[in-house]
Amino acid sequence: MRDGDRDDLELHRSLSQGDRGAFDELYRRYSPSAYGLAYRITGQQVLAQDVVHDAYMALWRAPEAFDPARGAFRTFFLSLVHHRAVDTVRREERIRARQERASNLEPVAVEDPAEGVIDAADLADRRVEIRAALDTLPPEQRQVLEMAYFGGMTQVQIAEDIEIPVGTVKTRTLAAMRKLRRVLDRSATEDQ
Amino acid sequence: MIDDHERIEELLAGYVLRSLSGADASEADLLLSEHVPGCGECRRTLDGFQVVTADLGFAVEPVRPPETLLPRLHRQLEPHAPRRRPMQMFAVAAGVVAVVGLAGLTVSQNIRANNADVRADAFANAAQLAARDDARMVDVGPVQEISAPGEEHFYLVGEGVPGPPAGSIYRVWLVSDGVTTFVGDFLPDELGRVFLPIDFDPNRYDDLWIAVEPIDAPTGAPVSTEWWSARGTTPAA
Ligand SMILES: [Zn+2]
Repeated sequence: MRDGDRDDLELHRSLSQGDRGAFDELYRRYSPSAYGLAYRITGQQVLAQDVVHDAYMALWRAPEAFDPARGAFRTFFLSLVHHRAVDTVRREERIRARQERASNLEPVAVEDPAEGVIDAADLADRRVEIRAALDTLPPEQRQVLEMAYFGGMTQVQIAEDIEIPVGTVKTRTLAAMRKLRRVLDRSATEDQ
Repeated sequence: MIDDHERIEELLAGYVLRSLSGADASEADLLLSEHVPGCGECRRTLDGFQVVTADLGFAVEPVRPPETLLPRLHRQLEPHAPRRRPMQMFAVAAGVVAVVGLAGLTVSQNIRANNADVRADAFANAAQLAARDDARMVDVGPVQEISAPGEEHFYLVGEGVPGPPAGSIYRVWLVSDGVTTFVGDFLPDELGRVFLPIDFDPNRYDDLWIAVEPIDAPTGAPVSTEWWSARGTTPAA
């Protein structure tokens, strides 16, 4: 287990008992990642703020939703943010600008993006590994994966959008997820 | 039931990305409630995929949220205790499997699958809903209905819910213009807890009925005499 994960567990325990200091610390740790992700998916600052706001409120009001037996806190929390961001996109389908879903991971254009972001060193290292893992995917697999994950699109929508059969979207998605799971698992093990 | 693991893995990959729709989504729900909990291979696959999807989030460049966000959150951080009653129930029920579906696909589609991931989200969402100033909490027999204006889903929660007599279940309907729609069946868990997220828009219905029904009773409308209404309408005799 990473040191950061152990700290997270401790913070989560304190938060569960109503400790606002622990809430603030988890906010400091994960709000930049959460906001970056939410902004990337929703493409709108107001929506991204709402997603992050709702995720932290959910954490405060129902901390027991995180089960330490099922994985790391950061896994739980970023999944929560992802789900909410995707749900928001689906709701706000009409305002989704398709051109903003470019398949790259460059920072989105907001004022002073990373200025002052306290980015835990281990998260920064992980980011490098994850991007390297994404680079190992064949372009056609990476495309469907990113359209689903960052674009919040269903497999049916992806199939229509790039004019391939839904079955092909499914096959490519599975191949991409399998490969990432394998590669990331290996790099996480090497970190320990 | 599906027993082809290649196909299952394909569904799980789409599921963790939240990219399934239609029949695939229903099939995944069914899978997650009936097959995955008892299959070590599938549980490992699901957990592994979930780590991948969280990791993908960390691939994005972090961006500091606006300075106003934390103060906005601070204004809303109500003390943890004393909580409203349903919140305590969520805390207790979070660690347990509280939904038992008896009607197969119907239940799985309408009363969401009870796998841990979905459950975690559902608890958080339900607690959030219940904490809203405009939340409605209505006693319906042994459980409480939690809903809010504008929300297209609602929850049935309860604690200390007595098990129905042997051979019977609790059955749920929604009623609109005299037409009853069967929602699903439930039983409390062994500690008497019930937590049911229900994907129907309560604002589109006039009433919610719950009845203790024989397991093999038709699902058209209540046949037993033990039933409750959320809004006071009466099942036709
Ligand atoms: Zn299996």
